[in-house]
This record gives sequence, C-alpha cells and structure tokens, in this order.
Amino acid sequence: MSVVDLSRLQFALTALYHFLFVPLTLGLSVMLASMETVYVITGKPIYKEMVLFWGKLFGINFALGVATGLTMEFEFGTNWSMYSHFVGDVFGTPLAIEGLMAFFMESTFVGLMFFGWDRLSRPAHLAVTYLVALGSNLSALWILIANGFMQDPVGAKFDPVTMRMQFTSIYDLIFSPDAQSKFVHTSIAGFVCAAMLVMGVSAYYLLGRRHREFAARSFRMAALFGVISSLAVITLGDALGRADYLLQSTKIAAIEGLWHTSKPPYEPWKIVALPNDRTQKDLFSIGIPYVLTPLITHTLTQPIPGILELEQKAKPRVAKGIAAVLALKDYATTGDEAALAAFRKNEKDMGYGLLAQRYAPGQDLAKITPAELPGIVERTARATTPNVFVEFWAFRVMMALGFAFLAVFAFGAYYSLRNRLERHPMVMRLAMWAIPLPVLASEFGWIVAENGRQPWTVFGWLPTFQSVSTHSVGYMIFSLVGFVLLYSSFIAAELYLMFRVARIGPGGPAPRPAGAGLAGAGLAGAPGLAEKIWQ
Amino acid sequence: MRSFIKFVALAGVLALALFIAVIAGDDGPWYFAWLVGTTMIVLIAAAGAVLMETQVGPGRGDGEY
Repeated sequence: MSVVDLSRLQFALTALYHFLFVPLTLGLSVMLASMETVYVITGKPIYKEMVLFWGKLFGINFALGVATGLTMEFEFGTNWSMYSHFVGDVFGTPLAIEGLMAFFMESTFVGLMFFGWDRLSRPAHLAVTYLVALGSNLSALWILIANGFMQDPVGAKFDPVTMRMQFTSIYDLIFSPDAQSKFVHTSIAGFVCAAMLVMGVSAYYLLGRRHREFAARSFRMAALFGVISSLAVITLGDALGRADYLLQSTKIAAIEGLWHTSKPPYEPWKIVALPNDRTQKDLFSIGIPYVLTPLITHTLTQPIPGILELEQKAKPRVAKGIAAVLALKDYATTGDEAALAAFRKNEKDMGYGLLAQRYAPGQDLAKITPAELPGIVERTARATTPNVFVEFWAFRVMMALGFAFLAVFAFGAYYSLRNRLERHPMVMRLAMWAIPLPVLASEFGWIVAENGRQPWTVFGWLPTFQSVSTHSVGYMIFSLVGFVLLYSSFIAAELYLMFRVARIGPGGPAPRPAGAGLAGAGLAGAPGLAEKIWQ
Repeated sequence: MRSFIKFVALAGVLALALFIAVIAGDDGPWYFAWLVGTTMIVLIAAAGAVLMETQVGPGRGDGEY
C-alpha cells in the first residue's frame, strides 16, 4: 500500500471510530432536554430520574467522542499537510469556530448540567441542558460546514501567488447547500441513534419487568422522538441527494450505479445490482421503473448524467487543466504576466490538471509527449469516478436501515400510545436488537458521503493523492496500528461502561451490606463510593 | 415592573426568532427546517410523556404499559 492509501485508511478508520460516538451525543443531548422539559412542566421526579440516568450514558459517550475527535484535527496537519496548506485558510476557520464557540460552550454547560442540580433553579437547569444540546449540534454544524467546503468549495478562490485557496465569502461557506443539507441529515440521524438506544434499553427493562414506570415513559418518549426523527432523516436525505445531483454528478451516478445517462421518465431505480467498476457494467440488476427520475431530479423530464458520459465530459477539462497547471508553474517560476493570463483562462479546470499529474511520466506534466496525451487524458477522466460498487451498496444498506427504523419506531409508538406495549414482546425485542443499527447506518452514510467525493479532497480542485504529507510507509503503518489499538480500547471501554450502566438500571446498584467492601461500606456512616457515584 | 421586563425579554426573543426565520428562510431553508423540526420533535416527545400521565396512575388505566 502507498502512503496515500495508508493516509486515507488511517483517516477513514479514525473518522469511523469517532463517528461511533458522535451521533449518540447529538441525539441524546436533545432527548435529555426533552425529558427535562417534562420534568419542569409536570414536576414529577421520575423525569428527573430519566435525565440523570440517560445523562450518564450521554456522559460516557461524550467523553469518548471528545477523546477520539481531538486527534482528527491534528491528523490534518500531520498526514494531510498539502491539503492543509491548500485550503487551511478556509477549512481551518469553521474548525476553529467549532472549538472556540461550540465545543467550549458544550463543555462548559455539560459541567453545569451534571453538577448543577442542587445549585440551579429548575428552569435555569433546563436552560443549561438546552444549551448543551445546542452546543453539541453547533459543534456538528461547524464540522459539517468544513466538510461542505470539501464537497462543494464555495466562498473561496484560488490565489496563484500564495498557491492556496483564500476566503471570498464566509456567508457563502455557511449557507452552502451541501453544508446545510448535510448538517440537518447528520444531526437528525443522531436523533434516530439516540432514540433507538433509549427505546431499546427501555424495552430490555420492560421485557424483564424491571423499572416499569421509568422504562414505559422512556420508551414512549423515545418512540415518538424516533418516529418523527426517522421521517425527517428520510426527507432530509432526499434534500442531500438533490444537492448532490446539482453539485456532485459523479457521486449521484455512482450511488445509483448509473453507467449511462438516464432516460426520463422510464429509468428504473435499481434495488439490487452488481456494478463492476473494471468493466463499467452491471453483472445484473433489478429495478423499479419510473422511480429514479422523480426521486433524484424531483421532475419527470430531467435526465441524470451517467458515469460514461460524465467521463467524456471530463476529458476537455483534463486537457484544459493540464494547460492551467503548466501555466501556473511557469508563472511561479518567472512571474510572467502572460503565464498568469494563460492560467486564468483555464483556472477552473486546474484540479483536473493536478489529477492528471498522477499519470504523467514522473508525475511531471511537462514531460507528457503529444503521443502520450490522449492516453493520459483518458485515464484521468476515468479516475474522476468514485468506486461505484462501494457507493451503490453503502447507500442501499443505509437507506434500507432508515426505513426499517421508521417501522420499528412506528410500531413502538403505536403500542405505547395505546398502553399495549407489554402485550407485544416482539416489538420490544426488535427495539432492543436494533440498538446498534442506527449507528451502523450513520457509518454507511459517512462512507457514501466521503467515498462519493473521491478522487478529490476538495471536489474538483485538489486530488486526494496530492493532499498527503511526505511520510514513509513504515511511519504510516506504525501510526495506523497505534490508532487502531488505542481507538479499539476506547470502544471496548465505551461498550463496557454502557452495558454496565444499562444492566444496573436507574437508581444505581442495590445497597451492599456493611463490610462488603470499600465501595459498599463508606466511612463513618457516610454513603459509600457506589452510592456517591449514583447520587 | 417584573411583568414589563418579562414582556420586553419575550419580545426580544420574538424579534430574534423572526430575524433568524427571515435570514434562514431566504438563504438557509434547511437550517430553518432543522430549527422548526427539532423543536417539533422535542415537543411531540414531551407531549407523549404528558399524555402518559393522563393515561396511568391511581384510578386510571389497568396498570399495563
């Protein structure tokens, strides 16, 4: 494996590890706010107990989410230094705001939320819990604004003097259609993850006829929270798909396994297929006619460009991009205004020229002979398509799971609202076993978003293979193994703590008899360690 | 005086909400959808819990969930 492959693998693994914790934090913080709202309205202590108990799971998740997230920001500098140089001025801004505004806000109020029960009035504590929820979601917002720039680089312009992207409008960056639709889809996907966790653990108690009052209320709230969130995540996923159709044609074509431009309105939506990236054909496919065009374009007439046609369209851009990069090199060496003018002429295709460097002799565009040029243009155009098999199946798994969650939440909400839940253990078992699935669906969603962006780190501007640092393969393998071991231990710790807290349930462990050990005994009649933890 | 301050504070919140709605409505429709949708999700979940309090308890329901 090359340094590029290892850098990609390392970032993908650390992002996927981190993203095991993030969705739950986003959703649980909002669920806690919802539960505490009921506590403040009704004054019933059971809702405070719910906030305390589910807050413990939130706390565990939050801590591990922070631990796994911090390293990723440094990874941009260590493993992606060319990328950081190229877009640092733009990409770094939302990351800095995330740290200084959202993360600091969230972390400050998390402390108040956990330790402020006896020090704040009920409405003040409720406001704090809402601020934690807002902070965690704002944190996601800024990260996804940064990611939105990678998918649709708006609000910035390449400067040939500094050789980097520079801001033109932060407003365009914040309100980019990709950032917007990605934020809402990701945030609400987190709500689904949290709702399934709360519903599943509550179902576990109800099946064992433990903590029934607590579990029935938690289940009811989670089921309603989940059913609306599932509907929203599907709707907002459609919004993201439409943004991709308008901005990232190659991603949409790969998601749908669309080799040739669609024929509206008949074009079938492929339910299953075996796309072959090498031959650029499906080994087989089964689809539903008349679905794809309205699904993607929201019309019955607009065609969706296919991969083969997109590759043909990319060819002139590659040729222009090569000319742009050569002119830029000339300008950087000589400062010649004519070279700058030549660069400006083909500036918007510069990324395609950078991509062509991969196939040039010695990765030097100046060494391409006229005889070699058509072949290099052909190979570069073909490289503009992401891996179709991965994209096609990651999307379908995510989508199928999304609809399955809607069914589980809908049945759960229906039986809970009729107070007939305990007569339907199958629904509760389904809820219990479905706990990890929304997190899995989120991971597949992330794969769809980031695999679909390939071969670019900044779509259309900077190829992935140009973005990495100049480390050795040995260094990359060593750090990759280190990350895998460390992050796997984090996941083991998370699972151990989450299972432990869930098994014990609300109210903490049963009091141990005096003399049964340090945790149970306490000192001079004071509560023991276990009681203190649970208080 | 207390009521007046409360009125001014709530009027300020309303003005801010309208400002956000106008900005988000024009340029950030999906951010606006998130604000409205999340509020709705929170309130519907809370309403479900409040409804449960009317369905269960002494003299109400059959003790089944």
